[in-house]
Amino acid sequence: MNNVIVEVGNDTVGRISIGYGLPIVFIGGPCAIESRAHTFEMMERIGDICSRVGIQWIFKSSYDKDCRSSPNSFHGLGLEAGLEILRLARQEFRVPVNTDFSDASWGVATGEACDMIQVPAYLCRQTSILRAAAKTKLPVHLKKGQFMSPWNMKNSVRKIEAEGNKQILLTDRGSFFGYNQLVNDMTCFPTMAQTGYPVCFDATHSVQLPTSMGNISGGQREFIPSLVRAAAGCGINALFMEVHNDPPNALSDANTVLDIKYLEMILIQAKAVHEKRLELLNQYGDDDVHRSA
Amino acid sequence: MVMTMSIEVPSDTYSVGDVMLPIDRIPVVQETALVKESLELMAHHHLGIVCVVGNNFHLDGLLTDGDVRRIILEVQKPFSALLADDTIIHSNRNPITIAADNSILDAVTVMEEQQIWDLPVVNLDGTLVGLFHLHPAVKVLLSKLNRT
Repeated sequence: MNNVIVEVGNDTVGRISIGYGLPIVFIGGPCAIESRAHTFEMMERIGDICSRVGIQWIFKSSYDKDCRSSPNSFHGLGLEAGLEILRLARQEFRVPVNTDFSDASWGVATGEACDMIQVPAYLCRQTSILRAAAKTKLPVHLKKGQFMSPWNMKNSVRKIEAEGNKQILLTDRGSFFGYNQLVNDMTCFPTMAQTGYPVCFDATHSVQLPTSMGNISGGQREFIPSLVRAAAGCGINALFMEVHNDPPNALSDANTVLDIKYLEMILIQAKAVHEKRLELLNQYGDDDVHRSA
Repeated sequence: MVMTMSIEVPSDTYSVGDVMLPIDRIPVVQETALVKESLELMAHHHLGIVCVVGNNFHLDGLLTDGDVRRIILEVQKPFSALLADDTIIHSNRNPITIAADNSILDAVTVMEEQQIWDLPVVNLDGTLVGLFHLHPAVKVLLSKLNRT
């Protein structure tokens, strides 16, 4: 299949292209929308960092966290309040917005408020969610479930395509390695790229230790930098990281979210490795060491 | 003891188009059909070949039982990944074909020379119109012999 370029945004918030041979794009923000003030602060600070680094970016934050480990964990501000904050922040900072949804009936409202719609990893097989995402006609950010092989993601891709939507970004956020642990199989990227769609690495969820702390998830964020460099070297088109100004007090994913003070350092490295990879791609061409003459 | 006899087979009086299997009786898939879907279709039609078509039924590739045997021996990826591959990835993109107005003898000669059992039948522009399969051809020849 030909390489698809995913186009996110519009004239108001700017247009971002994600795809083969293009600069790496950053997708990030706090895991959950915590408040209007916090969302605005994070959008401004991340925007400043991305400007300095010279990387195009898409803001991501969620209004409903439906897969928390505990019934007592913060569930999110909810559809209306959350989307209103996203609308205001998008309007204020003119940055494309990506958010997810976990109930098919929320698809239309979610699609009206953002530029890219995300399918959560745990729901990546759910036909109703995939259909609802596709019907927004927005680019679909499809996370690979931790339980899915990269090649079987093609079935989820087909469900989106069946609704006439052929703007898809495929993201790896780790695969289950026994219980309460994830591992990153870097062959995910070239395998999922065989669909023709661009691929993305979710660095912060990849270091998660799912529900390892009894009723919450743990995480080994010390591995974020090395995994980012590895993924960028392997070949990705976008990098996803959840970022927070105060991780210990983050209302969601406190053990994995990246402290914003490290964001610039990681983005600089991701960009450098990505640019080197593109240089090597131009010099040596696509990887093809297996095919016989 | 093997007995042989010489018979005159009026094969050149029949064209490939007269005996070919029509499109709806052969496995035909789009390029993005999974290998697994193609194998199912081959089983359904009891044929060891699947024709891979692009827009307007243009024949873009061919996957045969023999290809599948070679793939299983050569491809090192997990079996579940192989089954999820697009069929076109493993297809022969330059298949040997024949035109409908060729004689049966022409077709059988090509098959013998190339050691193949099926020949996709295409128009001048490469559009797939049917499949020349050996058994129906033999049947026509035998029935002709019986009548003469």
